[in-house]
Amino acid sequence: MGVGDPLNQFEAFINAVGSVFDGPVTWFRESVVDKNRPDYPWYHRQFRRVPTIDECYTDDIVCFVEANEQFKRDRMVDNEVLSILRQRHHDCILYEGHDHKEKCASIKEQYDKAAENWFIKYGDLGVYGDVKAAYMKQKHRMLWERRHGPVGTGMKNPME
Amino acid sequence: MSVISCLRLSSLRNNIISPTKCLFTVQREMGGHGGPKKMVITASRWQWHKYKDLLHFYTMLGLIPLGTLVFAINVFIGPAKLAPIPEDYIPKNWEYYHHPISRFLARFLYPSHQQDYEKYLHFIYEENEKKQMRLLETKVKELMAERGDSQAFYYRPILTKYHRFVRKVYDDLDDTRGY
Repeated sequence: MGVGDPLNQFEAFINAVGSVFDGPVTWFRESVVDKNRPDYPWYHRQFRRVPTIDECYTDDIVCFVEANEQFKRDRMVDNEVLSILRQRHHDCILYEGHDHKEKCASIKEQYDKAAENWFIKYGDLGVYGDVKAAYMKQKHRMLWERRHGPVGTGMKNPME
Repeated sequence: MSVISCLRLSSLRNNIISPTKCLFTVQREMGGHGGPKKMVITASRWQWHKYKDLLHFYTMLGLIPLGTLVFAINVFIGPAKLAPIPEDYIPKNWEYYHHPISRFLARFLYPSHQQDYEKYLHFIYEENEKKQMRLLETKVKELMAERGDSQAFYYRPILTKYHRFVRKVYDDLDDTRGY
């Protein structure tokens, strides 16, 4: 018995009913359509890397626009990456059931780290947050870390 | 329906017959089963007839020709297959779409994405130039208003022609009266 074979008579009957609709369509596809179609390709658009915002002069608006577009594309890609990691975590929880806390720990840690990094780069920028806002956020974070130490270890007293 | 007029006959006989009594139509009684012909008052079926007209028009002109065209394109040409971009090859702008009709439109009718993008960048550049010029003008005006030292925008020149006229009047009075 192969994988696709019907298990019992009922399934065989249902398959026969389905083939009343499926048979003619499949015959038409294989005999008329597939024989006559030419083979030609199409491609996905690929964007070249352009200079980032830290390489642009302050009065160069075209450089800023291109850097902004690249930033938005990178943010879309990062959103999808995070979605995939989150979906992986959810699938693991569904599969493991009650012992997901131990079995899915590595996947959870991977997702948590990725979410933290995403928030560091793109979080709290607001609706109008463009690449300049993200750049300034990075600058402020670096200044804060220089003054107070790594984020999460608390602020130092200015008197120190 | 044939229309008979009796005015011609009346002119020959010199009878004055009013026109309202003259025009009468002759109707054939064919079969005669229903009795005399009546004018049946019904609701208008104009909308129904117009709807049928439009349905036939749009089916014959639109649905059938365009439907067969799209069917033929889908069956005999078919969509493209996704492939990685080969090395050292820059695809044309229509090769980024998979359906043959979209490819046709992108090839012959629509401007390409690259063209639109470059036009947009140029527009942004021009508008930014204008913006910088306007900012500079505003700053210069503010400085001129604040300092008031240049003979340009906020300078009010002293007109001496009225002073000269008044002095001339005084001089003339001095000459004529002596004081």
